[in-house]
Amino acid sequence: MIRARTFTDARQQAHSNAELNWWIFMRISGLVLVFLILGHIYMTFIQVSEADATYIAVVNKLQNPAWKFYDWTILALSLLHGVNGARYSIEDYVRSRPNRAWVKIIFYTISAVIFTLGTIGLFSI
Amino acid sequence: MYRGREGQWAWLLHRLSGLAILAYLLVHVISISLFVFGERAYMALHTTYELPIFSLGLIAVTAGVVYHSLNGLRIIVMDFTGMGVLYQRQMFWAVMGLTLLATAYTAFVVIGRMLGGAA
Repeated sequence: MIRARTFTDARQQAHSNAELNWWIFMRISGLVLVFLILGHIYMTFIQVSEADATYIAVVNKLQNPAWKFYDWTILALSLLHGVNGARYSIEDYVRSRPNRAWVKIIFYTISAVIFTLGTIGLFSI
Repeated sequence: MYRGREGQWAWLLHRLSGLAILAYLLVHVISISLFVFGERAYMALHTTYELPIFSLGLIAVTAGVVYHSLNGLRIIVMDFTGMGVLYQRQMFWAVMGLTLLATAYTAFVVIGRMLGGAA
C-alpha cells in the first residue's frame, strides 16, 4: 500500500507501475462513485421506501437499458474499488505470507462469484 | 502517514467504513440477484426488509457511505493540490459536520415515514 501525502510521493513510493495505477484508480473511481452511489441511495432509499423495491418494481426499472448501465457501472466500479481497498487491509493485517495468499485467493474468488451473479442478474431481464 | 489527531481518525474511519460498505455491497448484490430465481424467491427474503431494523440499518449504511465519499474527496484534495495537506484538519471537521447533517436528514425522512405507517 502506498502511504503518500501527494501524488508526487505516491509516484516515488510505488514499487510497480501496477501499484501506482491502482492508487490513481482509487481516486478516479472514488470521484465517479460519489455521484453514482449517493444518487443510487437517494433514489432508492430516501426518495422512496425500501419496501417499494418489490419484484415488479425492480423488473420494470431494469427494463430500461439506462438503469441497467447505471447499476452495472456501480457494480463493477464499486467492487473493483472495494476489493482493492480490502486488499490494502489484508496486506496490512495478515502478516504471514502463506496465510495472506489463502485469504486473498478465497476473498477474490467470493468477490468474482458475486460479481458474476450480479452481472447475470442485471442482464437476465 | 499522519500520527495521531484528526488525520489518524479520518484514516481509521475511512478504512472501517470502506470495509463495512464492501460487506454490505456483497450481501446487497446477492439479495437483489435473487430475482433471477423468480418472484417467490425474491419476495420471500425481501418482505423481511420491511422490518424497522433494516430501515435503521440502511440509515447507518448511508452514514458510512456519506462519510467515505466526503473523506474520499478530502483525500483527493490532499493528494492533488498543494494546499490540501495544510487544511486537512479543517476539512476533516467539515466532513464530519456534513456527514452528521446528511445522516440527520436521512433519519428524519426515513423514521418519519416509518412512524407515518409506511415501511
